[in-house]
Amino acid sequence: MAFFEQHIHSEPKTFISKYIFSYDHKVIGKQFLWYGIIGLGLGGMMALMIRWTLAFPGEAFPILGNLLFPSTGGVVPPDTYAMLFTMHGTIMIFYAITPILIGAFGNYLIPLQIGARDMVFPLLNMLSFWIAAASALILVASLCLPLGAAAGGWTSYPTLSTLIGSPGAGQTLWTLALFLLGVSSTMGAVNYITTVIVLRAPGMGYFDMPLSVWGLWLTAILNAIFLPVLGAGLLLLLFDRVFGTTFFLAGAAATTGTGDPILYQHVFWIFGHPEVYILILPAWGIVSDLLSFFARKPAFGAKATALSMTSITILSTIVYGHHMYTTQMSPLLTQTFMTLTMTISIPSAIFFANWLGTIWKGSIKFDTPMIFSLGVVFVFGLGGLTGLYLATVTTDLYLHDTYFVVGHFHYTMAASVLLGGYAAIYFWMPKMFGKFLNEFWGKVHFWITMIGLNGVFMGMMIVGYAGMHRRLYNPFVYEFMERLIPINAFVTYSALLMGLGQIPFVINFVYTIFFKKEKEPVSDNPWNVGTLEWTIPSPAPVYNFKEIPVVKCGPHELGNPNLPEGKDFQYQTEEIVEA
Amino acid sequence: MNQVMTNKDFEAKQLTSSIAMIVLLVSFTMLFATMLLGFSVYRLTVDVWPPMGMPRIPLTLPMVSTIIIALSSVALVLFESAFNKHNTKAMRVYFALTYLLGLGFMFVQWQLWNSMAAMGLQASGGVFPSLFYALTWTHAAHIVLGLIALLFLLPVSMKGYSMEKVTWVQNVSKFWHFLGVVWLVMFIVMFVF
Repeated sequence: MAFFEQHIHSEPKTFISKYIFSYDHKVIGKQFLWYGIIGLGLGGMMALMIRWTLAFPGEAFPILGNLLFPSTGGVVPPDTYAMLFTMHGTIMIFYAITPILIGAFGNYLIPLQIGARDMVFPLLNMLSFWIAAASALILVASLCLPLGAAAGGWTSYPTLSTLIGSPGAGQTLWTLALFLLGVSSTMGAVNYITTVIVLRAPGMGYFDMPLSVWGLWLTAILNAIFLPVLGAGLLLLLFDRVFGTTFFLAGAAATTGTGDPILYQHVFWIFGHPEVYILILPAWGIVSDLLSFFARKPAFGAKATALSMTSITILSTIVYGHHMYTTQMSPLLTQTFMTLTMTISIPSAIFFANWLGTIWKGSIKFDTPMIFSLGVVFVFGLGGLTGLYLATVTTDLYLHDTYFVVGHFHYTMAASVLLGGYAAIYFWMPKMFGKFLNEFWGKVHFWITMIGLNGVFMGMMIVGYAGMHRRLYNPFVYEFMERLIPINAFVTYSALLMGLGQIPFVINFVYTIFFKKEKEPVSDNPWNVGTLEWTIPSPAPVYNFKEIPVVKCGPHELGNPNLPEGKDFQYQTEEIVEA
Repeated sequence: MNQVMTNKDFEAKQLTSSIAMIVLLVSFTMLFATMLLGFSVYRLTVDVWPPMGMPRIPLTLPMVSTIIIALSSVALVLFESAFNKHNTKAMRVYFALTYLLGLGFMFVQWQLWNSMAAMGLQASGGVFPSLFYALTWTHAAHIVLGLIALLFLLPVSMKGYSMEKVTWVQNVSKFWHFLGVVWLVMFIVMFVF
């Protein structure tokens, strides 16, 4: 706890040192936020093109179609379709969710919530952003190649992703971009882990940290351990593509001795399953905090929540096999992996119950961040429960690679992480930019998003259960699928609705940051909560804390009946009021 | 940062950088562990080893590499103890020795790749040579990183002991010893068996 106190840095003067090559964790957080929101827009447009093709096969994509695909009169061609869903997955996971939750809020919240003046390695932090930026540039540049970008799915399984499956340079650039992003994330992880260990304010034990910091810290640990596993896989894939090694080529393609495409799948999912939790743990932490803040009650079983997040982190490392039931795995192994996977539902249920316990009999204030958090509780419940069918070997064999899987992982990863991210943006906006987002438009944004995303992902699960395969350009060439066209149209309309629902947010966000003038400056603590970042002015000054705070109680001391009249929360720097 | 470091500052700096270095080394361990896992999968599932009448790589050059990198680790340990004893003269000697042995390791690796090519083992010649090339390439890339990191100790060994540089010396040597251990594991797993 606070092994040392950082010096107060002088304010950067020039535009470049202030906004571009900034060492300040708050600026880097904002850079990541913009980066992620741009990624979200790009990935979202791709999603709409995919959906359009599935609902109206052979019809031109409206407005943009003629511009992007002139050769086919605006219709998305099959090879481009494969490219679109690959890039959609890649961008959403690595260039939208990761930068918003881990890059932006990790950077912004960790030092502020543990009472530090900055990350422990500010230079490393800055490099981490700029490497991520370079990686995004490489990925987006690959869209302009003559043979197109990567098209082997976001998992890039060989042999689709070897030179035989995808001869263009797109896949090579994809591999390179992800490797670079892995380097950037590892640098971030080293920084986050060390910062949380050595820079917590005096008096702050691990269980006095807000649950957001818990989530981000566990994420960083998973990142540090499992990103290199993907790194190794990508490196071997890169060697295969550039130097002609034959790790993932099987059979006739490998002239002497055979490689093994399945090995890539093992390596990918050893990383890939923890990655699911890398994405979701920050959102869980943030939501656990927000539910308590807006229910004006201490978080129910906060310690148990932190410990169940920790046990999920540990369990997530040994369940990867459930992604591979259909790869001729030994039945003994599938049984083992099924049992282990099911075990994750125990800690998940514990903290889900804790969420419900937190809002139980609370005096809930339905501000925008709160309704987004409640949205997370709802969609994560659905996503988690549908996961049980996929964890079970018998049902997974039928549901494997159908839209049921797509619906399930969009509920857990896309829906709940996205809503968690929005909750965080609406909540910390005053601290980040000194202004509030418009409440009314925030609520409009929430309801349209909520209705849209349930339409999309519920619809996906239904068509998946009916047997619609993912990744097919036109599944309706199969007769039994033809009756699914109307429901696919419904899903597409929902997706369009959801897409349109993001417009109020973008306008709200840009308008608030650049044009809105608050009548009076936002107070230090507009939400009346006690965590450390609300003890300093909004927006936070360059050095964060003039005096490093001394922590005397936990982050959720709300609604203590012994508090004086008119006050229902305590700052973490205050002694708990006893009767 | 101009004021003299207090003992508390020093301890904090040491703790911070050693935590960060350990996290980083765990990351690198996972990278090499994954590659060795891949190696083991191929090694254990193939009927005959080396497969398809491929020549076995002679032990001589890898053995020389192992000895060289072990010696360089020893030299670095001696450098560290000379540093702690404020013995600038010995530091210079051991630094030069470590660095030369590091370069020597790279030279032997180069020879190894040449000899493999001479035996007809190309990187693209099937999974058996692919494994040897890819793993040694990755390790060699890290050795290059290590050699660059060692260069940061050059000013230290010129000027002698200073409290500010203790963490530098500790971290660079941790990384270098780590590479030595990785090579030892690779040597046993890939070349001996």
